[in-house]
Amino acid sequence: MKRLNQISVFVENKPGRLLDVVEVLGNNNIDIKAISLADSSDFGIVRFICEDPKFAHEILTKNGFTASLTEVLAIAISDRPGSLAKVLKSFKESNINIEYMYGFSAKIKDYAVMIIKVSDLEETIKCCIANNIQILSQSDIKSIV
Amino acid sequence: MIYDDEIETLPREALEALQFKRLQQTLERVYALVPFYKEAFKKANILPEDIKSLKDLHKLPFTTKDDLRESYPYGMFSMPINKIVRIHASSGTTGKPTVVGYSKADIEEWAQLMARSFVACGVTDKDIIQNAYGYGLFTGGLGAHYGAEKLGAAVIPISGGNTKKQIMIMVDFKSTVLTATPSYAQLLADTIEEMGLLDKINLRVGVFGAEPWSENMRQKLEEKLRINAMDIYGLSEIMGPGVAIECEAKEGLHIWEDAFIPEIIDPQTLEPLEDGQEGELVITTIKKQAMPLIRYRTKDITRIIKEPCKCGRTHRRIQKILGRSDDMLIIRGVNVFPSQIESVLMEIEGLAPHYQLIVDRVNNLDTLEVQVEVDSKVFSDEIKRLQSLQNQIQKDIKDLLGITTKVTLVEPRTIQRSEGKAKRVIDKRKI
Repeated sequence: MKRLNQISVFVENKPGRLLDVVEVLGNNNIDIKAISLADSSDFGIVRFICEDPKFAHEILTKNGFTASLTEVLAIAISDRPGSLAKVLKSFKESNINIEYMYGFSAKIKDYAVMIIKVSDLEETIKCCIANNIQILSQSDIKSIV
Repeated sequence: MIYDDEIETLPREALEALQFKRLQQTLERVYALVPFYKEAFKKANILPEDIKSLKDLHKLPFTTKDDLRESYPYGMFSMPINKIVRIHASSGTTGKPTVVGYSKADIEEWAQLMARSFVACGVTDKDIIQNAYGYGLFTGGLGAHYGAEKLGAAVIPISGGNTKKQIMIMVDFKSTVLTATPSYAQLLADTIEEMGLLDKINLRVGVFGAEPWSENMRQKLEEKLRINAMDIYGLSEIMGPGVAIECEAKEGLHIWEDAFIPEIIDPQTLEPLEDGQEGELVITTIKKQAMPLIRYRTKDITRIIKEPCKCGRTHRRIQKILGRSDDMLIIRGVNVFPSQIESVLMEIEGLAPHYQLIVDRVNNLDTLEVQVEVDSKVFSDEIKRLQSLQNQIQKDIKDLLGITTKVTLVEPRTIQRSEGKAKRVIDKRKI
């Protein structure tokens, strides 16, 4: 399985709300592997990757948050100038649109890991295989410390 | 089913003759026994005997909530206190509450009208009625209670609040009827759903009133709780719940005309309006002993439906209350009722019916912010989808009311839940 389940959480744009989310996660021993915060004028969406997304979703819902699971891809890109451009060029050629993207904090052996949400998941997976772009699975995520 | 066949289906002519007879008795009573009315009639240059038919009703002076406040606490009573058996008071958000008194016969009459109302909206003596209206100075709890007992149903006097316990009792006692404010029914429904108990309840009828609510809210309550959600109307000044009730046709509320005379007036010019026209409801009580009121301005906005109802009752109907002229917001000159905003929100698939309106004035311009809770049904991982939800709400409100609003999406459960009457509007304007 190449797809990852990302958790998205609705938060109001006011002091302390992001803290509330991550505190709930911390108290339940959920390790955030990658996180991003998207904002509009009065609300934001916290998106993150963890080991057991279904559990994290359940915990957040139980604590009164509005959360959902979204399928995204984690791709490993060699950590050298120009390599992201190369990947994006392959996507462009396959007419794949990236809706949003954010990075992993941890590095694995000279690779940077990017989380991407794309317009067409199937097409992107095909494109990655054709162009030798490495996609990480949920079990690969576990091994990233 | 009809509780009192003779009176509820009395031919119009006989009903109006009865009304006139009772009106005359009432006018004589208040003129003789209530100094406030003697004074008011004198000012209007009118005597009880000048009222020669129901058509002369409009010649009589109005009674307002301020009049009741000024006669606090017992000034409007037409009986000495030793004949009074019950005193209720309505919540006074500003200043003193308004006080109402009941004689023994008034309490009996109220129970009768309430029992009649229960039957009209489908409740029977075999029902188990969970009465979640507040007991106390508020007329809702005791009003529904006495009516339920009069009918011979089993009544659970649980009062409002204590939601988890309400649900435990609802499940264990197999309650078949819920009486509550619609906003509290909504909170109960949501909590029952959260607890996964929707298929464990036995409700079949909801009797909801004491605040305006929309058709869309009715639909949601009916679908979720699998009930018939019925609208009941009343106000403490006039009696309490049971002044008017929806019959199973759900096309307006029959106002019990053997006890009350309804009129619709233009709230600005105070002129009476024809049946069918929308305006403020004015009620004259014609059977009450302890505290009869003449042409009481209810502030509730509705219209009278005079066409006969398919249920066979001859008492005219009022349309489901659109709002109160008190609750009516004037936003940049446009009249806005919270119930109108509610109906827009309810039209949108998946939107939770929890909302709040914040009115403010920025640079001498009124602003209206609509706060809506986002639950998992409408939440999307994509900001543009949420923004298009905001835009849709904004557009729908603009299409309906012609005003521009700011729509704010807020987290679930951040809007305060109500166990009684919902507080939908926060007006921060300082005028």
